[in-house]
Amino acid sequence: MNCEEIIAQGLKLAIMTRDELHNQRLLQEANEKAAHFLTRRHFLKESAMGFGALALGSLIGGCHLGASNSYAQTLFDPAHPLAPKLPMFPGKAKSVIYLHMAGAPSQLELFDYKPDLMKLDGQLCPQSLLEGKRFAFIRGVPKMLGPQATFKQHGQSGAWVSDRMPHLSTIVDELSFLKACTTDQFNHAPAQFLVHTGSPRLGRPSLGSWVTYGLGTENQNLPGFVVLTSGGKFPDAGKSVWGSGFLPSVYQGVQCRSEGDPVLFIKDPDGMDRDLRKASIDAINQVNQEEYKEFKDPEILSRISQYEMAYKMQISVPDVMNINDEPQYIHDMYGTQPNKACFANNILLARKLVEKGVRFVQLFDWGWDSHGSDANLAIDIGFINKCRQVDKSITALILDLKQRGLLEDTLVVWGGEFGRTPMQENREGKQNPFKGRDHHTEAFTIWMAGGGIKKGVSYGETDEIGYSAISGKVTPFDIQATILNQLGFDHEKFTYQFQGRPFRLTDVSGSVINDIVA
Amino acid sequence: MLQFLGHLHPVLVHLPIGILLLACLFLLQSRKDRFAHLQPSINFILLLGMISAIASCITGYILSQTGDYDEGPVNLHQWMGISVTGISIIIYYFRRKVSLQKWQLPLTILLILLIFITGHLGGSLTHGSDYLTQPLADLLNNDSLTTFKRKPIANVQDASVYSDVIAPIFQEKCYVCHGKTKQKGKLRLDDSASILKGGKDGIVIIPNKSVESELIKRITLPREDEHHMAPKEKPQLSDNDITLLKWWIDEGSSFSKKVKQIDQPEKIKTALRMLQNSSEEKKVDLDVPQSPVEKADETAVKTLRDSGVVVIPVAQNSNYLSANFVTANVNAKIISLLLPMKKQLVWLRLNNKPVNDSMLAVISKCTELTKLEINNTNITDKGLNYLKDLKQLRSLNLVGTKITIKGLMQLKDLKNLQSLYLYQTNIGENDWSEIKKLFPKVSIDSGGYDVPLLHDDTVIVKPPPIKT
Repeated sequence: MNCEEIIAQGLKLAIMTRDELHNQRLLQEANEKAAHFLTRRHFLKESAMGFGALALGSLIGGCHLGASNSYAQTLFDPAHPLAPKLPMFPGKAKSVIYLHMAGAPSQLELFDYKPDLMKLDGQLCPQSLLEGKRFAFIRGVPKMLGPQATFKQHGQSGAWVSDRMPHLSTIVDELSFLKACTTDQFNHAPAQFLVHTGSPRLGRPSLGSWVTYGLGTENQNLPGFVVLTSGGKFPDAGKSVWGSGFLPSVYQGVQCRSEGDPVLFIKDPDGMDRDLRKASIDAINQVNQEEYKEFKDPEILSRISQYEMAYKMQISVPDVMNINDEPQYIHDMYGTQPNKACFANNILLARKLVEKGVRFVQLFDWGWDSHGSDANLAIDIGFINKCRQVDKSITALILDLKQRGLLEDTLVVWGGEFGRTPMQENREGKQNPFKGRDHHTEAFTIWMAGGGIKKGVSYGETDEIGYSAISGKVTPFDIQATILNQLGFDHEKFTYQFQGRPFRLTDVSGSVINDIVA
Repeated sequence: MLQFLGHLHPVLVHLPIGILLLACLFLLQSRKDRFAHLQPSINFILLLGMISAIASCITGYILSQTGDYDEGPVNLHQWMGISVTGISIIIYYFRRKVSLQKWQLPLTILLILLIFITGHLGGSLTHGSDYLTQPLADLLNNDSLTTFKRKPIANVQDASVYSDVIAPIFQEKCYVCHGKTKQKGKLRLDDSASILKGGKDGIVIIPNKSVESELIKRITLPREDEHHMAPKEKPQLSDNDITLLKWWIDEGSSFSKKVKQIDQPEKIKTALRMLQNSSEEKKVDLDVPQSPVEKADETAVKTLRDSGVVVIPVAQNSNYLSANFVTANVNAKIISLLLPMKKQLVWLRLNNKPVNDSMLAVISKCTELTKLEINNTNITDKGLNYLKDLKQLRSLNLVGTKITIKGLMQLKDLKNLQSLYLYQTNIGENDWSEIKKLFPKVSIDSGGYDVPLLHDDTVIVKPPPIKT
């Protein structure tokens, strides 16, 4: 408005009655509101040759996208984002339970038996192992550290497991060990991102998001992707490690708690009963429907379906997340601790969730970062305690899934984000106060069970001291490809169109580890 | 630069083929009065054809010098190509001499023949000699001839290490480019002499030294490396293949010894054993029938879905269905809705629902079922009797039901059954050995596992007290 107009308006206002002024202001407000809608974006959207033409362009212009793209396009239905969808081929696994030991447990004290390393215990590390290598904390020349546990072969398969996992060693014939896993990230956060999102940097969807995006979920009253954490700390990569990246946000992991309310604010507030809640959600959805009729933005439909799901979850989630109704012998089997947030409780929850049709359950347990910088992180103190916290419950999970007939279509994955060095850590060149090992990228062990994975297989080998993989080497991409394969997806064709190109979980590498697929 | 010219050959050759054939066609046609007007253009077309034929000959000669091709067929192709060029020049020359024009017709026919033969020879060189007839052969014979498949060896210890173990690996993964029809990099792997001779970069196998052998180096390079073998888009050698090749070279790369005459570390024994039980064959998923089936009635599926049942095909491009009642109410009416899709239904999940024996009577009509979960339901032995009709059943979950050994006896003829879950049923303590006998091939899970509490489980290790 220029000067003249302002003066004119001022004069006009001066001669108005109060009622007229009121009406004038109402009108002004309405005009302003209308103007809000007339943004450039809406103009483009509404005008005849605006976004319609752009949409047409992407319909006819996808010259290089090929058939895989048409597959990707049909997967996301904004009105029913979590509706069950078809895999590419019949999958062996229907659900996944991923047990991530955050901090990276030592393979040399658990599964990778290296008697030769014992002989080198206390000697200086040969220069050949250090040249051209970088470590997170080791500086100068560290000493070698022999295995700090006693190993024995177990079961029919003769798998080596140390006395750190006395329970797990009784069920090795159910497991498939990958003993030559490698990665290229030696810090926790990037390595965790690599394992779960296929990239060491932020921004990619996590494995669980890809899976719920691809398969949806069969129980519409529960989230498809649930995350449970224990160990008193989040994984270093933060919540993005179960984020949905560029996939629609409904596919991100829903973090639940095993103590208190399973999901924050899930209870109706005081004074609001279930009917009133229903009425208010209906009203909100009605407004959203109107909004959708006007703008046809698919995200609005997602929002409506999310409100409805949240309403259903208010009943179903506290029910499934309550482990108190499990019989005592199950509690004894898992070694749960009442009313505490702990790994054993989480793992029992994981079984309950999978039983109810949740697609992907991701567990993180922090505290495996055995540097030897303090007693809790000592390989001969804190590490033993960590093993005792998980050993019994993991064993119980496998056996419980098995006896319920769930193991044949539930894939269980156990592992960390990298391994630990055969050398004793000397932080900044000085001896650590306790025995410990540094982060190591060149060799570590993970295992899988159920979901169409072979039983009692040990795949891959490391050298005599467990420093590097010599055969059957696998990368995080190979592991991701294998998990997707078990669920019925070809990891090379399972893509999502983003920033002008199709993205996939395994990016440009990875191949299915056929030697462990039954 | 020379190499580039050579690579132009496969492009250039199409010019003389097309142009000369056109010239021949005009020559033949213009003999009729009706097409006499084509006469004046023939010389020009012929000239173009000649020039392109000469260019093709030169580039072709350069290409043949790279040595990627089998010498015999290359020679033949070369001389045929030169004859085509020569004859086209002769025709061009004869057309100018009136006295020689009577030779035109036979020469033209000869040229056409030569063009066809040369073209075919060239095609065989680039694509392989059976390229053209392959689809026809496939039509006649359903077993594809292109991909050689290894057969399991009956007794691997008695087999010959080269001809039964190593040669089949080469045959399956290498012969396509390093065999009879093609010798990329001048390397041929289909007989002992050629294997030892190596390729254009020298020998590929150093007996007893697998690490230094070029062959092993190439196959163990990362797949992205341009020197990696097999080329990344081709079928790859398996880890087992590589292990065996390394072992064969380290043990002296014998062409005559039997497997049992050679030292075998434990790892090799396992690798060799895998050759006996054909683990290389493609795994067949038996949870879904192999035979195709028509699509289930859309409206029937929709009715079921509207009742809250999750009914979806087991995979894309499959008409077989899975049904999950996780969030649906179960009653006789809903169960009867499964009948229209009885041919398609293969997986059925009804656990923790009020399923009773009479519903099993309906379900037993779905004879394609391979997986049935009726755990924690109200079924009894009477209901199990119906299930004996489910001949395809592979996995049956009866956990948490009132069934007993009497009920299970009725199922002993289910030949395809692989897993049976019987935790928390009314089966007596003493019946288990009987059940194992009833179902000798089935993995039976009786459940009731215990993870005993060990003394150390609850002990927390503490750091030693700090010395003062």
